[in-house]
Amino acid sequence: MSSISGISNGSPAATDMQRLRRAAVHEPFGRIVGKYLFGLSLALVPFGLLFNDYYSINILTFVYLMAGLACAWNIIGGFGGQFSLAHGVFFAAGAYIPAQFYLKYGVSPWLTAPAAAAVVATAAVLISWPTFRLRGPFFAIATMALNEVAAVLANYSDSLTGGARGLLIPFKASFSHMIFVERWKYCALMFAFMALTLAVVVVIRQSRLGYYLLAVREDEDSARASGVNVLAVKLWGMGISAALTSVGGTLFAMFIRFLDPPTLLSLPDIGVKFALLSLIGGIGTVWGPVLGAFFIIPAENFIRASLGGLPGAHLVVLGLLLMLAALFLKKGIVGAAAALWRRVRATP
Amino acid sequence: MENLFTILFIGLWLGGIYGLVSIGLTLIFGVIRITNFAHGEVLMVGMYGTYLAYGWLGLNPYLAVVVVVPVMFVFGVLIQRVLMQPLLDEPLMQMFASFGLLMFLQNLVLMLTRGASLGIPSSGRADNLSIAGINLSLGHVLAFVASTVIVIALHFFLRHTMMGKAIRAVTQDKRAAATMGINVNRIYRLTFGLGTAITGVASVFLTPIYTLSPSIGGDFVLAAFAVVVLGGMGSIWGAYFAGLIIGVTEAAAGFYIDPALKSAVWFLIFIIVLIVRPSGLLGTVGAEEVGLREQH
Repeated sequence: MSSISGISNGSPAATDMQRLRRAAVHEPFGRIVGKYLFGLSLALVPFGLLFNDYYSINILTFVYLMAGLACAWNIIGGFGGQFSLAHGVFFAAGAYIPAQFYLKYGVSPWLTAPAAAAVVATAAVLISWPTFRLRGPFFAIATMALNEVAAVLANYSDSLTGGARGLLIPFKASFSHMIFVERWKYCALMFAFMALTLAVVVVIRQSRLGYYLLAVREDEDSARASGVNVLAVKLWGMGISAALTSVGGTLFAMFIRFLDPPTLLSLPDIGVKFALLSLIGGIGTVWGPVLGAFFIIPAENFIRASLGGLPGAHLVVLGLLLMLAALFLKKGIVGAAAALWRRVRATP
Repeated sequence: MENLFTILFIGLWLGGIYGLVSIGLTLIFGVIRITNFAHGEVLMVGMYGTYLAYGWLGLNPYLAVVVVVPVMFVFGVLIQRVLMQPLLDEPLMQMFASFGLLMFLQNLVLMLTRGASLGIPSSGRADNLSIAGINLSLGHVLAFVASTVIVIALHFFLRHTMMGKAIRAVTQDKRAAATMGINVNRIYRLTFGLGTAITGVASVFLTPIYTLSPSIGGDFVLAAFAVVVLGGMGSIWGAYFAGLIIGVTEAAAGFYIDPALKSAVWFLIFIIVLIVRPSGLLGTVGAEEVGLREQH
């Protein structure tokens, strides 16, 4: 017996097994919280440094928001492996509903944001119920069509969305309106959103739902054969993901204060962006989408600022980056860093 | 009755264009199962190529076929070789890569043209035909004819030539095809190239009808995927008829509901069909899963 284990310990298969077993065991609670707080405090460093820089703090605000949104997409897209392009719809609904309640009835976005999130999550579950019958590219195409339907409807229904003219939210600064004079307050708000989303992601990753989502991503049929209720798992993942995306939409609406369909339902800037940030950072990892946002959003702004004369230059670079990442960086920055770390540890 | 006839008529011409655009994607997505979201942008590049051939070489826009199609074939082979071949067994990464290609091509053209919209003047409007009291442009008729000719030619190619048979063999079972001495990767490159070349033909016939803009691919990509899926994955005739069905649906929705909502109507129908019968009209039931099953 001992000789067998001695042999297998030396083979690569055994080390893989050990790594898997280690990953499957729950981390101690304190360490999870510690990692979470450490990551968040690192993410706060630029906030402290850029506090008074009007231009940079706007970018940072957007970084936090997109990081939170990418994390939300990652729940169903990364953990669950369902390439959803419908998240732009949840985002737009999360922006429009509170904005209209604020404009027409003066209801504070603080109250409507959770209500809208609940409505959007319910709608997402109802829409996904039939759509989850589709797999891989077919699911992606169906959700892409959904985004386009939403774009056509948003342009059409003047009374609900302001149509193509868009909705302008007047600047009336007050805490209850979620409109601020000081830019850093928006930044802090987005940071809080990112922290909330990350907390949800960390909890899901440690929970039964998280493991089920991973199982569904790896092999849907095997997961079903092992007794996982695949549809329920996907629907839970989608519902939570959509609710968080909707909250992000509300914050975006109150930050930008101008809403129109091309902004909210653009595939390259919204729907695909969430997936892109996750991929670059590390799809299906907890911190990957945050890293992706911290890397891509400032880079994008830099390119836009330095090549401002050329329309679309930043998207040319982003498209190139996306192709390169799909080819050579499939596990994103997090995966590359982990591989590097393993290599460093392996060489004495 | 008069209205119905008009709708059918307009729908068929529109459907001819959708069919024309989708036949290339039938080869790429339907036959070799590569998810290419950049299909609309490939079409757009072809249209700009046609415009260049017309503007620089002074060719008749329809004669540009002789230049555009070979170039597009090489372009397609390159996309397959460089971008898609390494990702054959990874549908998720194919989607990312093709979205990258979409953003890259669309914005590269935007950057080069600085957003100016281009168009070939006069043709189309000047050459209006009048059949049974309905005005239609010569451009639409030619597009319809081209679509029909391509479908028939492709049908014979896939059924009756060794190359066509090799393509179908690879689709059915990569490994078995390889043991029969078929160079699988070469077949993939050729099929992708052929799909792109046919899209090149489509772009030549569309250039005189449409005003060129870098984002014009976005108007066709979803229609093309819808046509491929509705027709049944890999079914050439399915794509042809699905194109006509979508054209008529769009025309009818534009007339009876609201022109602004016409695309939303058939998107919804598409989503429903996709969910209820994912094998499409002329597809084999279960065939939609073939390309997703793991093959090594």
